Amino acid sequence: MKRRSFLKGTLATGAAAVAVNAGLLTPSTVLAADWNTKAFTAKTIDDAVSAVYGSAATAASGDIKLKAPAIAENGAVTPVEVDASAIDGVESISILASKNPIPMVCEYTFAAGAVGFVSTRIKMGETMNVIAIVNAGGKLLKTEQEVKVTIGGCGG
Amino acid sequence: MAINIRMRGASKAGVAEIKALIKHPMESGVRMNKATGKPYPAKYIDMVTISVNGADAITSQWSGAVSANPYMAVKVKANAGDTIKVVLKDNTGDTGEETITLK
Repeated sequence: MKRRSFLKGTLATGAAAVAVNAGLLTPSTVLAADWNTKAFTAKTIDDAVSAVYGSAATAASGDIKLKAPAIAENGAVTPVEVDASAIDGVESISILASKNPIPMVCEYTFAAGAVGFVSTRIKMGETMNVIAIVNAGGKLLKTEQEVKVTIGGCGG
Repeated sequence: MAINIRMRGASKAGVAEIKALIKHPMESGVRMNKATGKPYPAKYIDMVTISVNGADAITSQWSGAVSANPYMAVKVKANAGDTIKVVLKDNTGDTGEETITLK
């Protein structure tokens, strides 16, 4: 059984390598931008936001619809939805979890063909705020919501 | 190893909602292996690109705090017949891609 899965694995990677050589998969060109190491190692929210946008000055906005559960029974899969389609010229949406060791969870950059909407699932270690930062026309808008994480409890 | 992606999308009035389910452990590199006292090595998707008819519409950067087997939904301006492609890679260099044609 082990031998079989090993063979399967080598075949699959072999095929991928051939594809890369043939220029079918060119991750370096398709994924042009570099991973923002600074933002994803920052320990505070302000540091993370400045690493992405160059400034940590945000204004609270009611136009961003942030959908997250009030109580998450399993913090490892907290559904979060950010809808900024009511705002014109959305360039980027970031999702942060305020008390995670590294608050920055993910960042989406939108080109002309996209709508300011993101839905994903994130990990949260404890009860904390989910923060959505929207960059629209150079202005940073923010909204946040508390999510109670009940690990090992009975849903209370 | 190629990363497995399941993707669906439907266009309505010029806006298509793309939903993707990705098979990936998303190991953050922080979680401790209690048996050895060392953290599990990090393995998470860090770059995701969504393109419409070959033009990049959304580029995204992720940390290890995105849940295991990530679910992602985004909206792009696209009509029926347009080609949507998702390309992603993780921090160990594994890549995955999936292409669909909107109905």
